[in-house]
Amino acid sequence: MDMDGDIPMEEVSESRLDPSLEDDEHADHNPNYSFSQPFEPKEGPIPALPKSSVNQLDQWIEQLSNCQPLSEENVGNLCKMAQDVLQFEANVQPVNVPVTICGDVHGQFHDLMELFKIGGPCPDTNYLFMGDYVDRGYYSVETVSYLVAMKIRYPNRITILRGNHESRQITQVYGFYDECLRKYGSATVWKLFTDLFDYFPITALVDNRIFCLHGGLSPMIESIDQVKDLNRIQEVPHEGPMCDLLWSDPDDRGGWGISPRGAGFTFGQDISEQFNRTNDLSLVARAHQLVMEGYSWSHQELVVTIFSAPNYCYRCGNQAAIMEVDEQHNRQFLQYDPSVRPGEPTVTRKTPDYFL
Amino acid sequence: MDFQKSQQSNTAADSIGEILYPLALLMDELKHDDVSNRVQAMQRLDTIAIALGPERARNELLPFLFEVAHDDEDEVFAVLAQQLNGSFIPFIGGEEYATFLLPTLEFLSAIEEPVVRDKAIASLNDIADHLSLTQLNNEFLIVINNLATADWFSSRVSSCGLFKSVISRVDINTRKELLYLYLKLIKDDTPMVRRAAATQLPSIITSLEELELNSEKHLDSDKYASTEPSNNNDWSLLFQTFKSLVNDDQDSVKFLSVDVMIAIIKLFNAVRNDKSHNDQLLEDFLKLANDQSWRVRYMISEKFSSIVEYFNKSDLNDKILNKFIALLKDHEAEVRKSISKQIPDFSKLIEQKNVIDKIIPQAEELITDQNELVRSALASKIAGLAPILGEKPTSEYLLNIFLEMLNDEFPEVRLNIISNLTTVNNVIGINLLSKALLPAITELAKDKQWRVRLAIIEYIPLLSKQLGIEFFNKVLSGLCMSWLWDSVYTIREAAVLNLKRLAEVFGDKWAKEEIIDKILNNEILNDYKKENPDLFPDLAGNGDLTNNEDSEIIDGSNIENVNNSIMNNFIYRITCLFSLISLVDVVEDDSIITNEILSYLNRLSNDSVPNIKFNVAKGYKKVAFRLLKLEKEESDTPEENVSNEEEDELLEVKALKDDKYITKLTSEEEKAKVYSVINEKILPFLANLSEDKDIDVQFFAKKSTNEIQVGLDKVGISS
Repeated sequence: MDMDGDIPMEEVSESRLDPSLEDDEHADHNPNYSFSQPFEPKEGPIPALPKSSVNQLDQWIEQLSNCQPLSEENVGNLCKMAQDVLQFEANVQPVNVPVTICGDVHGQFHDLMELFKIGGPCPDTNYLFMGDYVDRGYYSVETVSYLVAMKIRYPNRITILRGNHESRQITQVYGFYDECLRKYGSATVWKLFTDLFDYFPITALVDNRIFCLHGGLSPMIESIDQVKDLNRIQEVPHEGPMCDLLWSDPDDRGGWGISPRGAGFTFGQDISEQFNRTNDLSLVARAHQLVMEGYSWSHQELVVTIFSAPNYCYRCGNQAAIMEVDEQHNRQFLQYDPSVRPGEPTVTRKTPDYFL
Repeated sequence: MDFQKSQQSNTAADSIGEILYPLALLMDELKHDDVSNRVQAMQRLDTIAIALGPERARNELLPFLFEVAHDDEDEVFAVLAQQLNGSFIPFIGGEEYATFLLPTLEFLSAIEEPVVRDKAIASLNDIADHLSLTQLNNEFLIVINNLATADWFSSRVSSCGLFKSVISRVDINTRKELLYLYLKLIKDDTPMVRRAAATQLPSIITSLEELELNSEKHLDSDKYASTEPSNNNDWSLLFQTFKSLVNDDQDSVKFLSVDVMIAIIKLFNAVRNDKSHNDQLLEDFLKLANDQSWRVRYMISEKFSSIVEYFNKSDLNDKILNKFIALLKDHEAEVRKSISKQIPDFSKLIEQKNVIDKIIPQAEELITDQNELVRSALASKIAGLAPILGEKPTSEYLLNIFLEMLNDEFPEVRLNIISNLTTVNNVIGINLLSKALLPAITELAKDKQWRVRLAIIEYIPLLSKQLGIEFFNKVLSGLCMSWLWDSVYTIREAAVLNLKRLAEVFGDKWAKEEIIDKILNNEILNDYKKENPDLFPDLAGNGDLTNNEDSEIIDGSNIENVNNSIMNNFIYRITCLFSLISLVDVVEDDSIITNEILSYLNRLSNDSVPNIKFNVAKGYKKVAFRLLKLEKEESDTPEENVSNEEEDELLEVKALKDDKYITKLTSEEEKAKVYSVINEKILPFLANLSEDKDIDVQFFAKKSTNEIQVGLDKVGISS
């Protein structure tokens, strides 16, 4: 079901872009898709945090879990620490079972807290988020700060992939940029986070069997090893393999198709079969599309879509879901509804103010 | 890049610029192309003012700001309006110059954007408190007058917000003039102005009320012109104002009169003890409650009890009761919703006979209301009738309503009934309640909505205490165990807590036989086997326990597979672990902890999943502290040897060191015994975990080791 209302990428008008992007080193896209300079993750293991950082992070996480954003200065520190951690992560980040796999969150902070109530708190439960933390919802800043803080504090317990909304261009249209401006009075925080997004890994491989990514497959990627050859540290390009991985959708029609989104492709069951066979996978798990039940199978259970923002945009009326994968690779989907927030008015028929 | 530029100029301002060119710099920044820079500059207005000194701030900065207020964007205006509040007065030379701020704020109060106006009005009111009576009369009243008589409606809207801070300070004649002016505003042609005037009227009445309540405060002749309370002249004006509101042709204005009515009724009845106006007010009240517009009836319903509480008993049991019943039957769902929430509060005011004969039958009608929000509202409040009715009528009339609502198809209705059962419980006693409700409760324990299940779980310890151990083991035990395997984490967490509370109620023997032994022998699965899979509503209803291609499909007929699969399941093991760790707090017999619980922890200490291992590490600390019988002592003075040597230390560990603990271990023999347990059955395992390849396991193992060391030090055992 294609109900995601993202406008095609071409319509993101260049004139809206921040002038600062022009001279940004990441902004000039390499037309040969950077196959030539693959990203080399730093050799692990990730060193343990000094105790003072643990204290600092625990305090930030406490503050953020009450939906209180960090100060601009602390966001700067947070992003610096996060970059240090994310440098260790590969383009195809290996993840162990048991793990709980989640889809789009889109700034719906209170629903993210509901997600942890359903799946269990991090670090007791391991999580894999497949991107799209910002835009649309009212609390993108709090949501992405919280997840990034958790990532630094417990790098082995939570994996955060990049979604197509973790991009400079998209966030200027769909709300994250404006939210930063409103909450901090300047674009500094937006700049810090969008620079950090370049470091987010783009795919993950759960126990060599489940391939997780935000969008879908790419005609230029036949084997998972090819993903490892990408240089991911850049703004999401307009075309090419990295763009496809973050933008593509599965489709009922076979083969590759042109995506109505204006970026990425649609791929059919034949493509998924071939890809899963080549790479010895049991499943491709992805997010990116609104599905009313929170999860939805495609291609005879070769591909699953998981969407974790209940009542998307506070009006779609959809359920959200997460997928628990246990040590035997048993999968269980947990569906949930929007969080209950006491004290919010529930008048069903309120005459809008502009009528008066 | 923009932000870099602003950073540069900020640093410049911080050094020499601050002294020499603050105003020029501010002007530069305020001419910046980017509105966010202009906003930032405006936010630093106080710094600029301090740098300039009071005189230049008055003579140069304020005229400049007045210019700015004529030519910029709303974002900048909003900050400017906010900055020029009472706390800005010292920067321009103190209260005697406070009126210098008025022109700019007056201008901002006339701007079309409501955010700016609201901030300007708030600042004006703030400044008014600092003004002397002369300043108030000579300058502030002119601002009010200008705004109230301006051509453009936005000024008139703003003026309404300023009356409250002056009305109680001026002399009688001025007060009369102001009230005349207000009467004009409430009859204004523009509905927006009438709405603003109606919204502000209660606060004006409140400030007149304060004048009567604490007249001593008003003796300060520098600030207050007269201590004389509002007189009949004033009130005839205010009643005209109110009358005009009640008869307004716009329902969006009219419904605001409800709050005004509450303010008036409260002032006359509670403060003045003057009931002479009540007949008139009752007439107006009934008129509003009969209004054609549902919004007006909705407002009346929302505030019903707080309005009618001052009317006399005979009216309450007659006219007002009839109106209440009529609103319960209203054709608009929003009205029924808000009035049904008023049932208990209103029932307190009338005779019990009328509650039983008139209100309860109508409430029974609402049980089957077609609108779920109405039923939900009723369910959230109906339990409040129990204390009013007393034991017998509650079981006779109310229990039935509860039972029916517990079966409502809308989960929120069921949840609201359950969460208020304690109120009923206090009235009719748990025995009667449980007999009547137990079937419904066990049904709801399997509800699809996890919040409903949660509400039931939280109710279980209380229920079990009353019902006794035998009844519990027979009826509720299976239910409590099944919650441990719920698919929703919060339910499992509540189930663990529930077991702990039950162990508190039923004691060590029960805890060992019914929980600990069963977990250790995996016997807990027997309960699982017996129970139907439909005990797992999320799992059976909408989740799929989907297997991958190479393992067998789980169903009820293949119990062995269920066993193996569950045994190897991470969630199963971690829930057992959490259950045992939580029991450490309540089990009294040390041997249960050193034998059973500790052996389970040790068994899981080389689990394959890191999450289990670091929770084992956390558990060790809890066990050690329990065995050392350390209890935190509430004390303001920290432990003497506060740990200053090590700067780099976890806050939690530091807090542990600083807190005062006392041990209940008395003899050296006991201490030695405990130490040998810790030394043999805990520390070696923690040492192993500290070497684990996962950094989180290492972290929590080292932390627990550290904490246990602190604990040993506190008891006076040195290793």
